[in-house]
Amino acid sequence: MTLSGGLSRPGERDRPIIKFMEIDWTFCLALCLIAGAGALMLFSIAGASWEPWAAKHLVRFGIYFVLMIVLAMIDLRLWFMIAYPVYVVGLLLLVAVELFGDTSLGAQRWLSIGGFRFQPSEIMKIGLVLALARYYHGLSADSARMSWRLLIPAAMIAAPVLLVAHQPDLGTAVLVASTGLAIVVLAGLSWKIIVAGIISVLVAIPPFIIFVLHEYQRNRIMTFMNPEADPSGNGYHIMQSKIALGSGGLMGKGFGLGSQSQLNFLPEKQTDFIFATLAEEFGFLGCFSVLFLYGVVIFMALRIASISHSHFGRLAAAGTTATFALYVLINGAMVMGMAPVVGVPMPMLSYGGTVMLTVMIGFGLVQAVRVHRYTEVTSGKGSLM
Amino acid sequence: MSEPSILFFEVNERQGVFHRRAFLMGGLAGAGLLALGGRLAQLQLVEAQRYQKLSAGNQFNYRLMPPPRGLILDRNGTPLASNRPNFRLMITKDKGMDVEAALDDLSKLVPIDGSRRARLIKDIARAPRKAPVAIMEDMSWEEFSRVNIRAPELPGVTADMGEVRVYPFGGAFAHVIGYVAKVSDRDLAAAEKDPTQDQDLLHHPGFRIGKQGVEKAFDTDLRGRAGATKAEVDAQGRVVRLDPEGDIRPTPGKEIRLTLDADIQNRALEVMGEESGAIVVMDCRTGDLLCMVSGPSFDANRFVKGLSGPEYKALAEYERKPLLDKAMTGTYPPGSTFKPTVALAALSAGVDPEQRVFCGGGWYYGGRTWRCHKPGGHGSQNMNDAIKNSCDIYFYQTALRIGPDAIANAARAMGFGQIFDIGIPGQKRGLVPDPAWKKRAFKRNPANQIWFPGETPSYGIGQGALTVNALQLAVMTARLANAKKALLPRLIKSVGGVEQPSGASVPDLPFSAEHLAYVRAGMAAVSAAGGTAFRGSQLGLGDIQMAGKTGTAQVRSFDKGVSRDSKDVRWRLKDHNLFVAFAPYDDPRYAVSVIIEHGGSSGGSAGAPRAREVMRVALLKDPEIRARIEKPMPMPDAPPDAFIEGAAPEDPIVGAPPPGTPQEPRI
Repeated sequence: MTLSGGLSRPGERDRPIIKFMEIDWTFCLALCLIAGAGALMLFSIAGASWEPWAAKHLVRFGIYFVLMIVLAMIDLRLWFMIAYPVYVVGLLLLVAVELFGDTSLGAQRWLSIGGFRFQPSEIMKIGLVLALARYYHGLSADSARMSWRLLIPAAMIAAPVLLVAHQPDLGTAVLVASTGLAIVVLAGLSWKIIVAGIISVLVAIPPFIIFVLHEYQRNRIMTFMNPEADPSGNGYHIMQSKIALGSGGLMGKGFGLGSQSQLNFLPEKQTDFIFATLAEEFGFLGCFSVLFLYGVVIFMALRIASISHSHFGRLAAAGTTATFALYVLINGAMVMGMAPVVGVPMPMLSYGGTVMLTVMIGFGLVQAVRVHRYTEVTSGKGSLM
Repeated sequence: MSEPSILFFEVNERQGVFHRRAFLMGGLAGAGLLALGGRLAQLQLVEAQRYQKLSAGNQFNYRLMPPPRGLILDRNGTPLASNRPNFRLMITKDKGMDVEAALDDLSKLVPIDGSRRARLIKDIARAPRKAPVAIMEDMSWEEFSRVNIRAPELPGVTADMGEVRVYPFGGAFAHVIGYVAKVSDRDLAAAEKDPTQDQDLLHHPGFRIGKQGVEKAFDTDLRGRAGATKAEVDAQGRVVRLDPEGDIRPTPGKEIRLTLDADIQNRALEVMGEESGAIVVMDCRTGDLLCMVSGPSFDANRFVKGLSGPEYKALAEYERKPLLDKAMTGTYPPGSTFKPTVALAALSAGVDPEQRVFCGGGWYYGGRTWRCHKPGGHGSQNMNDAIKNSCDIYFYQTALRIGPDAIANAARAMGFGQIFDIGIPGQKRGLVPDPAWKKRAFKRNPANQIWFPGETPSYGIGQGALTVNALQLAVMTARLANAKKALLPRLIKSVGGVEQPSGASVPDLPFSAEHLAYVRAGMAAVSAAGGTAFRGSQLGLGDIQMAGKTGTAQVRSFDKGVSRDSKDVRWRLKDHNLFVAFAPYDDPRYAVSVIIEHGGSSGGSAGAPRAREVMRVALLKDPEIRARIEKPMPMPDAPPDAFIEGAAPEDPIVGAPPPGTPQEPRI
């Protein structure tokens, strides 16, 4: 084949087969391995059964994987074009949740449309990344550093974060805010503002905890500080998770032999705490391997962002990567007792469709950036909107 | 927004900033992952052992296995207190448990009525988390299997087989052995500070603590050490798998062997009938107590289950006081059973036993007439006659001759006025009065501090301030019969196989053998033809004779002319009837004391026949005595084998007295 030889020809890179070949398959393999590890764990904690979790996990992953490939083929200019609409729709849906949302576990997060329940905050994770990337795409380096124009991205971040926090879904709010801020920083925010921002956040945390948080959120944070003080109440999750992790040792207790998860001592073993199950049954070696895979995914995605020729592509891919990395780090820290229990799952590993869908759509965008890394994105086609 | 200008340097500047910042972000993510890896290493490599221990603590649950309580046996190994299997139902409270729903489910399987349910809810609410609470004891096998089959659907509910204390003889040993009962809050409070006590065991719903008698005094010996069963449990506390190899076996409690003999004890309670009183039998050579019965008794098994309010009230309020141990706690004036002691005191004081005293039925002294129990008088009496006839006039005068101190000294030497260490609490000392005691006792009332002359004659016939208990009477008789040693009673033969010190390794009595023999001869005369207890003392065992002494303790004075025994006199106003005896007279083996409360005043009517029946059992169980009786003997009515067979050790049920024995009508 002379595919590689002809890539410099105009229009060659628009051919679907070429696009398909341009997808980073090593990256995809890493994703498959992580999802496979998740299925393995779900199989184990169901008592060596595909039901009720493992099979569904794999089927979902398969569907979302195909979706990711399809999204990767979509021209980056189209992504650019739908950036603001997605953001606006996401924002409207968040408002709708505020008004009509289902209450689940004391928080309004879900919206049902025609029997299909979903969390608008997940759409916003993509929408915010796209919208910020698009905004910064048209901004000069000086303006991105420090100017009145930065009030617009600040508002773009603040609106969804406040709506999500009000649901209240503190974990997602922190995630959305962090993602947005990551893009702002990556786009070239002045260090002075960054440092000032960090300092003011540190100062604002204690009064925030005391006056703004709900009782249960405050308890979670207090418990995180000292889980042993209340081993049967709020500290139970953290304590049991640490026991599961620590008792795994170097090699783990073996597949299907994790007493903490098999005997239900570990709460939410199939979702937020699946990493603890993995740690218990496969030990330090198993955990390290999975963390390594996550590292591979993060660094490959960042590299994809770096080689993009368009600023939009760079920021969109990097923003998506930031979301993913935050998921991994927050969940990891939570499971290991280094962060409060905030209800953030381990992406691809945990059971649950919504987060996996968001992450895979994000990776579709990342792959689209890679596939279309030479595509010139101008706002010329933005007149469509 | 302005059209973005494609200025080369500006594009490059934005790209450059992005690259630097993306590199930084990569570094941060890498650092974050490394931090996670480091934390993993800390938990999984450095602290792994600690968490493995915690994990095992989660996974495995050691359930306390109560130790079998030590048996209490009689001297021949017959169990007096043992354990029987008990199917019981327990519930263990845990976080988020719906007690009401659990009881609803259970009431479909086993009967739980409204009041029980209310009490259970209270009990469960009070119990600490993870401490099981008994819902039902003594389930039938059907109920047990019904619950066991459904157990997986009933979280926290367990049906298991425990042990419960059982007293095969019901009431016969109730006062000596006592009983076990549920651990009270007071017991828990008392044990809380004691590090030697197993708190978990005390909180176990199947555990019972000794409340009285031997069960209480030797509670820690009988208790043993708890073991544990190892089980794998899930987060809801349900047992997933048992691990018998990981079990820790409990150490059974020590076995306690008493000196009592179940046959003698049972016979004693039997002959006690409805009467209120005590019978004590003591071995004259070793001091072993063969029988210590208090009647009426109560079924100790009822206390193990937990007595209901009305049941307890009935026992506590019954005028014959079944809960009181009359063998040790009840003190009575000894009446004429004290006369052998006075006789000994007199002999020691140098009184010539052949010196005669004339008894005309009354004797004027100190401004009043002192009456003998025989209105017409006994005539001329020497000491032997006086013991045989229980002549009061003789002992009034003899007491006056030797004085109260001599009597008190002899009484103490014979065992009165003291508490013996027999291993169980509850003895009352009684009182041996003397002038020194009066000074102490009436500190507030100087007028009463002096020993009035009129007190001494009363002392001589065992009345006045003098009080004794049945155990002391038996000790006195045994010492007299032993003729040498100041025997001490022994109740606990061995604890956990360790023999307890015998009651015979003691100093000698301060009386000469000759004097002791004289008094014994007097007592033999009591039981011989013409004596006060002749009819009631005939053993019917060939040439084996019982020597005894009757006694009557006045409960209140009656007007002259009203018979104290008349049917018109209410039960609780009648005199106490006492009898002490030993047998065989020629080679004493066993001493017996009998106190029948309000048994009436005529000497040998209530006490002697009962002493005889109990003595017969004791003698027939003694192989040497049996050998003596089994010699062919002229017994025309029935061959001796007929009743000896019936009392052989392998058939401990002692039935009706043998034919040919003069049968005393039951009182």
